[in-house]
Amino acid sequence: MKKLAVRNLRLCTKDCLCLYVCPTGATDTEDSIIDETKCIGCGDCAAACPSGAISMVPQAYPPQQPKAEAVTAVLRALAQRKAEQEQLALHLAETAGRDGLSRLMRAAARSMRLVAEDILREAGFMLPQSGNTHRLLEQLTAAPPSPEFPLEAAKALLAALPDNDAPST
Amino acid sequence: MKYVCQVCGYIYDEGKEGIPFADLPGDWRCPWCKASKDNFQPEAGGPAPRPVVTAAAPAPIGDAGSAMPKGWSAGQLAALCSNLARGCEKQYKGREQAWFQELADYFAAKAPAAADDSVERLAAELLTDVEQYPAVRRTADDAGDRGAARICVWGEKVTRMLASLVQRYRQEGEAMLEETDVWVCSVCGFVYIGEAPPERCPVCKVPDWKFDKIEGRSAQ
Repeated sequence: MKKLAVRNLRLCTKDCLCLYVCPTGATDTEDSIIDETKCIGCGDCAAACPSGAISMVPQAYPPQQPKAEAVTAVLRALAQRKAEQEQLALHLAETAGRDGLSRLMRAAARSMRLVAEDILREAGFMLPQSGNTHRLLEQLTAAPPSPEFPLEAAKALLAALPDNDAPST
Repeated sequence: MKYVCQVCGYIYDEGKEGIPFADLPGDWRCPWCKASKDNFQPEAGGPAPRPVVTAAAPAPIGDAGSAMPKGWSAGQLAALCSNLARGCEKQYKGREQAWFQELADYFAAKAPAAADDSVERLAAELLTDVEQYPAVRRTADDAGDRGAARICVWGEKVTRMLASLVQRYRQEGEAMLEETDVWVCSVCGFVYIGEAPPERCPVCKVPDWKFDKIEGRSAQ
């Protein structure tokens, strides 16, 4: 499986061993982002990096783990509760006259969004490249919910992301 | 007797502490995650755990009168798309991340406002979730789905903590949050009140720099 080296700037401590070992000079860039047109995916930089800032990111991902219908049903119901609570907390934050309540409610809304995201990942939407994601994007582009729907973004995603769960032809 | 914090797993050992758990003051908090006393339960072997509530039959999902795809509400689609945006970010796909974020923002703006909004209602909703998590967990375990079981563990703890904070706010009001900050773990959603975030998230164990501070409105 083809992989490319990617540097996490948050972790990079500029030990620069990647510069010494890279056979193509892909790691030596003025903006610290590894040049993907030069990277050959050898992995030498990731192995040499003392701060673990470089990972070898696959260019293609495997099909998703299948999910039981009973599991997705309860997870989707829970995600819906979290989505409704997020709106409730956001509204309470907006109408709060007090700074403490406003901060607590915005924290709650953020927390509920993160929990809902986590639930939906496990409800069959782990990968942007999944068949489930593809089918939903197809539905949305075929019948946009309203005129302001960002149709071009949805179409661009369908074109850019492969469907890993499609039967290979 | 030992008591275990249901949020972070801290164990209060009466034998070592010298003070019976029941004698701790009402405002005593978990030393690790600051969860309130009612988040503690006797360690296994103590009194029987609460019965598992059966999950309510999932109601069909959707917003009244909306044209969202069948089985989806705008609020849930917002979370789905921001989740996929994060997935693209992790894969270093900046363009795709921005497109999914555009979709997420669209759906968030379309999510219907809460009809009945009060802190009391939010507190009640959180407690209902705390009661429902064990049934969701059982469904995950029955299907042998470790990933789904994992989100039940994280989600239940995060929800318990939030329920305890909202409850505390109802009792203490603004005094609870004066001169202190509110932090959210950007990975699992754990909410923490304090001057600095915990060294590690008590729920998902990420380091403190993964916590985001919720700024006051004047700083926005």
